[in-house]
Amino acid sequence: GDALLPAPQNISILSTNMKHFLTWSPVIVQGETVRYSVEFQGEYEREYANESWIPICECSLITATVCNITEDISATVAYNLRVRADVGARRSEWGALKGFFNRITTSLTPPLMKVIADGYHLLVELEDMGPAFQFCVLYWKKGQESRMQQKVVKEVSSAVHLDTMEAGPDYCVKAQTYVEAINRNSSFSQTQCVRAQGGRSVWL
Amino acid sequence: TAGNKIFHFGPCRISMSMTEIRSSFTAIKANIQARDPIRTLSILSHPHSLHKVKSSDRCCITHHLFNFYVDKVFKHCKTEDSYVNRKISSIANSFLSVKRKLEQCHKQNKCMCGQESAEKFKQILANYEGLNVIAAAIKSLGELDILLNWME
Repeated sequence: GDALLPAPQNISILSTNMKHFLTWSPVIVQGETVRYSVEFQGEYEREYANESWIPICECSLITATVCNITEDISATVAYNLRVRADVGARRSEWGALKGFFNRITTSLTPPLMKVIADGYHLLVELEDMGPAFQFCVLYWKKGQESRMQQKVVKEVSSAVHLDTMEAGPDYCVKAQTYVEAINRNSSFSQTQCVRAQGGRSVWL
Repeated sequence: TAGNKIFHFGPCRISMSMTEIRSSFTAIKANIQARDPIRTLSILSHPHSLHKVKSSDRCCITHHLFNFYVDKVFKHCKTEDSYVNRKISSIANSFLSVKRKLEQCHKQNKCMCGQESAEKFKQILANYEGLNVIAAAIKSLGELDILLNWME
C-alpha cells in the first residue's frame, strides 16, 4: 500500500517589522509534486470556538514552503499554526508549529532614514513601514547631545521638517520605530549628520 | 497613528488596534448585513442609542459589550465563506485582547457599573434573545460599526 506521507517538519515563523511568514522543510516524494495547506487558530478559537482551525486559502494546496500569514495574525494574542502535505490522494498528518506565535515577538529593525539639509532647513525622509508604525526622531547640534530634541512622526508621507539650522555647526539625527499595537520600539538607526551652507547640501 | 487608539474611560486606559478591527469589519460588512433579513430591528440601538449612556457608565457598558461579542456573538457567525471566517477570527481575537484589558480595569475597580449600564445591557440581551441565535449573532455582528463609532 501507499506509505504514509510524512508531515512537514521544521515549521517555524519568520517575523520582522510586523510581517509574519510561516516556513517549513519540503516533504520529498520522488517524481511527485507535493502540495501544502496551512491553518491557524487564535486564542479566541481555542477558548470560545471549540479549538477550531481556520484555513488560509492563499496557502491551500501550494507548492511553496512559505506562507504569508500577516493578514491573519491581526491581534496581539497567541496563535497556533499547522501545515500538512498532499500528493495526489495521499495526505499527511498535520505538522504543528512548536509553541505559540504572538506578534509581540516580531523583530523590529531600525528605520531607513535620509537626512537632508535643504538650505538652512533640516529635513528627514523616513521609510514607510505601514500603518502600525510610528517614528521617534532625535536631533541635536553636534557636541550638544545634552540638548537633544525629539519629534514623533505618526504617519510617513513626505520629508519631515525638524529644525531651522544655523550656518556652521553640524546637525545630527537618528530615529527608531515604535509599534503601539505591541508597545515596543526598534533600536536607533545610525546617526546621520549634515550641515547647512547657504542652500547647498553637504554630506558628512 | 493610523494603527492604534488609546481609550480613556475615566481611570481605565485601553489601547486598541481600531484600524485593524475596522478594516476587517469593513471587508465583510456588506456580506454580513446581506445575511440579516430583519432590517427593522436593532440589537444595540433599540429602544435607545448607545449615545444615551452616561459617560460615567461608558466603561462598564463597553466591558459588557466586549464580553457579549466574545462570549455570545462571534461563535455563531461561522459562514461557508473562508475569507469571511478569517476576518471574523481577526475581529474576535482583537476583541478578546481588549476584553482582557477591560477585565483588568474591572478587577482594579476602574470600570464601575451603575444602574443605567445594567439597564442598557439588559435591554441589549433582551433584543438579542428575542431572535433565533444565528439571526441574532449575524445581526449583532452587522451592527459592530455602531459600537465602534460610539466608542470613537
